[in-house]
Amino acid sequence: MTNTITWARVKSPWVLHFNSGACNGCDIEIVALLTPKYDVERFGIKLEPSPRHADVLLVTGCVTQQCAERLKRVYDQMPQPKFVVAIGACACSGGVFEGNYNVVGGVDKIIPVTAYIPGCPPRPEAIIDGAVKLLNALNPPKPKKQPKKAEPAKEAAKPAAEPQIVVAQPEAKPVMEAKHDGKQ
Amino acid sequence: MANNEVDIVKVIESKFGSKVQVQPGLLGTAAINTNGLHREVLKAMVEADAKTGITAITGLDLGANLGVIFHVHTEKGFFGLRAEVPKEKPRLQTITDIIPGALFHELEVSDLFGIMFDGNELKGHFLLSENWPEGIFPLRKDVNPAEVKLGPSPPEEKIPEDKKIVKFIIGPQHPALLEPEKFSVTVEGEVVTKVEPRIGYVHRGIEKSAETRTYVQDVYLVERVCGICNACHAHGFVGAVEKILKTDVPPRAKYLRVIALELNRLHSHLLTLGHAGLEIGYETLFQYFWRDREPIMDLIELTSGNRVYASLMTIGGVRRDLKDTDIPKIKTTLSDLKKKLPFYRKVYTDEPSIRARMQNEGVLAKEDAIKLCVVGPVARGSGYDIDVRKDDPYEAYGEIPFKEIVYKTGDTWARMNVRMDELEESINIIEYALDNMPKGPFRVDVPRYVPIGEAIHRVEAPRGELFYYVKGNGSASPERVKIRTPTYANIPAFLKTAIGENIADVPPNFVSLDPCFSCTDR
Repeated sequence: MTNTITWARVKSPWVLHFNSGACNGCDIEIVALLTPKYDVERFGIKLEPSPRHADVLLVTGCVTQQCAERLKRVYDQMPQPKFVVAIGACACSGGVFEGNYNVVGGVDKIIPVTAYIPGCPPRPEAIIDGAVKLLNALNPPKPKKQPKKAEPAKEAAKPAAEPQIVVAQPEAKPVMEAKHDGKQ
Repeated sequence: MANNEVDIVKVIESKFGSKVQVQPGLLGTAAINTNGLHREVLKAMVEADAKTGITAITGLDLGANLGVIFHVHTEKGFFGLRAEVPKEKPRLQTITDIIPGALFHELEVSDLFGIMFDGNELKGHFLLSENWPEGIFPLRKDVNPAEVKLGPSPPEEKIPEDKKIVKFIIGPQHPALLEPEKFSVTVEGEVVTKVEPRIGYVHRGIEKSAETRTYVQDVYLVERVCGICNACHAHGFVGAVEKILKTDVPPRAKYLRVIALELNRLHSHLLTLGHAGLEIGYETLFQYFWRDREPIMDLIELTSGNRVYASLMTIGGVRRDLKDTDIPKIKTTLSDLKKKLPFYRKVYTDEPSIRARMQNEGVLAKEDAIKLCVVGPVARGSGYDIDVRKDDPYEAYGEIPFKEIVYKTGDTWARMNVRMDELEESINIIEYALDNMPKGPFRVDVPRYVPIGEAIHRVEAPRGELFYYVKGNGSASPERVKIRTPTYANIPAFLKTAIGENIADVPPNFVSLDPCFSCTDR
């Protein structure tokens, strides 16, 4: 049964896009993914409007104060197991907006992040690469057991030149306190 | 019209004499120190020229006082009316009764600078979060944002329990909105009776952040106000800085900038025309437009090296030259797109479903367009012919022939068709610029320290007039950067036209403004 669910999830992940204060650069690239040139639907990836039906949350943007709470709520509404992909330099670390007065900076300050795709904005190819790596991490080709849980996302978090995949513990406690620690 | 800029200055001088000081050539046509008479001066301007409207209101921290500049446009001129208020009692009389379009601009200054406008009925946070502490205004110089402690979040808005009136809350996360913003739409039956916007979800504090970085860094920072019209933002900033520096950009750079700006317009218009198809349930059209947008993205990559953020503009010119060997590729791609345009044109004019969903919906009359100070394709769709490229030509636009597209009906359909026709004009402009590009250098060296001074620059972005105000203080960082984006000016048009509409027609009407909230909130 578990194998069937994993198979279904990997063959057709439903993704939800949440803009947490992005400049539209990454968002338009995500939409471009769905259009004929890149067309991720051929991998079974489908953009889903409701958090309650989604498997993967694609977050863009530097997380503004107004969006932080909403981001947490959207994440909580998603069914388990759920995965978060931070797309773009802002979502990974705050980017150029790190330190501004209305910016929390970095999605991982609010919710655990599974995969980071850096770039300003990342090319559509990079986003596809990140998505494929995420799917491979969920269903590793050789060992026939459940995906191994790596260390929590926060520690593995530094964005590198190419997408890194870290499978977060779904129970990892979201770091909501970060919102009020005055580091902005 | 008999009115022109000389008349307005004469009118002001004859009416007020030495009570106000006019400084010609500053902040557009002239800067006017109003000495507390900003309402009277504005009234005189409206009487002299019925097309007077407000472009932006800039707040300034002048030490003991707070400064306000009302940037006013008339038929041919552009003026800055200065006023000052003491920091202890920052109150001014509102101008919304003279120009209704000033409403949101006043709110922004109230929120970020704490200058209250007596008579402006709207109160509360507009850009800042609800839990932002009282009495702290982030753009004042004495506020250190790192020390600001946010309060607890207020409870959720309650929806009234009246069976006849239903209140929809659209957003912040909503399938129809790509960006997080909230609109509370009140409907009776299926008819919209009220729309209340709550923006600020994408407010990143770019204006404050620009004050702490150098001018060179700021070019890349302001580019990231918006991922769609980024070249326009970069150009708005470098244009204003070049005016303070009194730098003359080489002619080749002017043409290269025009090409970058027009490629920007092409991809933005293709994006919107497709998005409108999505909103009326015409997904095929969306996929077609986005398919044809990709070659334009390739051209942006070819000319600038990047797919989205062109980063082509720099103070004193452009960062890289165009290779002669690339020109045939650009021309082929553009002519391919041009061949496809008649098909899209036919779809937008003849397709019954588009006509049914867009014609006679969201009608904005020309008088309202002038009164609400809307800009860009929204104004031109209502027969109000404003286009900065024609009215106040910058770069090489004065030398390039092109048509200003104006439709008269003012409905959703007209606004989309303005964009449809502008696609062809943009292609013509790029082709003309490629054929007539002068030889020579593409940038000049400029000093890193910008002298004391202030300047404004206006750019016709894909969504309308984009306005930049930059004040230099002699150091390597600007004293103040003010950005007024086209969507900020166009939201009042949506609030007006949505009332009385069927709820199902609200999304196409909204998309016809080409809303961009990352621009709006900054």
